Amino acid sequence: MALSSTSLVFENVSYAYEEAAREAVSDISLSIAVGEWVGVTGPTNAGKSTLCLLAMGLAPHFFGGRLKGRVVVLEKDSRELSVIQRSAEVGLLFQNPFTQISGARERVDDEVGFGPECHGVSRLEVAARVEEAMALVGISQLAARHPMDLSGGQLQRLALAGLLAMRPKLLLLDEPTSQLDPAGTAAIFDVLAGLHASGITIVMVEHRLETLCELCPRVVAMVAGRIIADGPPDDVFNREAVQLRVGSPVFTRLAREAGLSPPWPVRLRDATAVFGRRLA
Amino acid sequence: MAGGLSLYAEGKSLLHRAHPLTKGALTLSAIAIAFIAPSIGWVLGIGVILLVLVTAAGVLRRLLAVAAAILLPITLLLLAVQGFANANNRTVAFALGPIVYYREGLAIAALAALRIACLVCATFLFSFTTRPADISEALMQRGLSTRMGYVVQSALQIIPQTLDMAGRIQDAQRARGLETEGSLPRRARAYLPLMLPLVLSSLVATQERAMALEVRGFGLPVKRVARFEFADSPLQRVLRWVLIGAVPAAIAARLAGWR
Repeated sequence: MALSSTSLVFENVSYAYEEAAREAVSDISLSIAVGEWVGVTGPTNAGKSTLCLLAMGLAPHFFGGRLKGRVVVLEKDSRELSVIQRSAEVGLLFQNPFTQISGARERVDDEVGFGPECHGVSRLEVAARVEEAMALVGISQLAARHPMDLSGGQLQRLALAGLLAMRPKLLLLDEPTSQLDPAGTAAIFDVLAGLHASGITIVMVEHRLETLCELCPRVVAMVAGRIIADGPPDDVFNREAVQLRVGSPVFTRLAREAGLSPPWPVRLRDATAVFGRRLA
Repeated sequence: MAGGLSLYAEGKSLLHRAHPLTKGALTLSAIAIAFIAPSIGWVLGIGVILLVLVTAAGVLRRLLAVAAAILLPITLLLLAVQGFANANNRTVAFALGPIVYYREGLAIAALAALRIACLVCATFLFSFTTRPADISEALMQRGLSTRMGYVVQSALQIIPQTLDMAGRIQDAQRARGLETEGSLPRRARAYLPLMLPLVLSSLVATQERAMALEVRGFGLPVKRVARFEFADSPLQRVLRWVLIGAVPAAIAARLAGWR
């Protein structure tokens, strides 16, 4: 598998957590190019979060366990670098923003600067990055608040700002909007769209299939630790196996129920066009 | 959600602006000398100095509220125990029938209460004028390791967070019908279903936070850049040494017969 211009490569990767009877991911091969925005979806225990942990190096560096195959992140084998060393270029946003924050800072802006400070970034540079990251996720007005006084949604934005202040090249997002209301979700996706446009590679685990199809040019569907489909959302969600085991966007289901012939639409704009033609 | 344990009160006084280590030296030496000083006059003097500083820092009202709650029961207890039951009691101060109150006990109780008052006053003066984060930052700038600095910083945040989590677990268990109020045996029975999820969720949170810290580069062997410079001056540096030096000097004076 060619490694040039790739952000993330999985080569026949299987991984089992320590003392686990079965593998969390089995024989996965995947190549993600620099600047891609890839959505990962699947039911519970599909291996989506493990995929992120492997890319970050937390599996196996933190969890132990058995890793077979090769994970190459920004052209470096995952076995060569510790998580801490990798943190300069790769960021991982966890599902629970409460545990993502350091728990040691008394102000939101100090919390955002925690990562760059750990990397020895100069004080002026930290201040600039903090300001930029807070503005990006829309929390500048919360700068003086205590992190623990924030709502779940605000905390999730803070966690994302903390990662963005590290200026990662590869961003791994494990359900980044799980705590957000629709307006907050839309705001975060706008931020991600901007980051994607600036060339950052994004791998995003997401359950909301409509969102995934709207945002991600490429979708990976996983079931029981294996990739069952990988490609553009129109292709992935028109496969019967994906529809049965992962589900399909509401527009796809609607078109199918309405008796339209495939390929069914996966996005709102496509569905509007299809149904518009039919009504006309 | 709960905030940190900080008692810091915003202000622009000289004490608010002083270097955290200067305030730390002032606090520790005031407490130490109050306990080393031999007589009530000296301890009262230290107390007056502390009260002047508290007033100058603009936190007198806050201090009085906290100090009254802490000191009133302690003082009353000391006065009662020492005045009525101290082994050295000889001179009667007053008598109410068979109950006799003694001067010696009153003097000992007053001295002990004043020392505790100095301790409370100095500690809260420090807490009201110094952010917890500034203490660890100042210590890290003086060579404390980043890991130890993190421990100091996070320790002050973890108690309210744990209390907050315990409250949420208690609410969740109540919603499922667990009786958490009422008689002592009933409360004791409710303890296990509350403690088990609290301990387990704390362990999970600790593991997740450890991962999150690694992801943010915590522990990288790089030279740490100070987050900010504390205002310091030759006068403050001299003052720190004087305050620190006053403690062994007081011990020496006491050994030499300071009465």
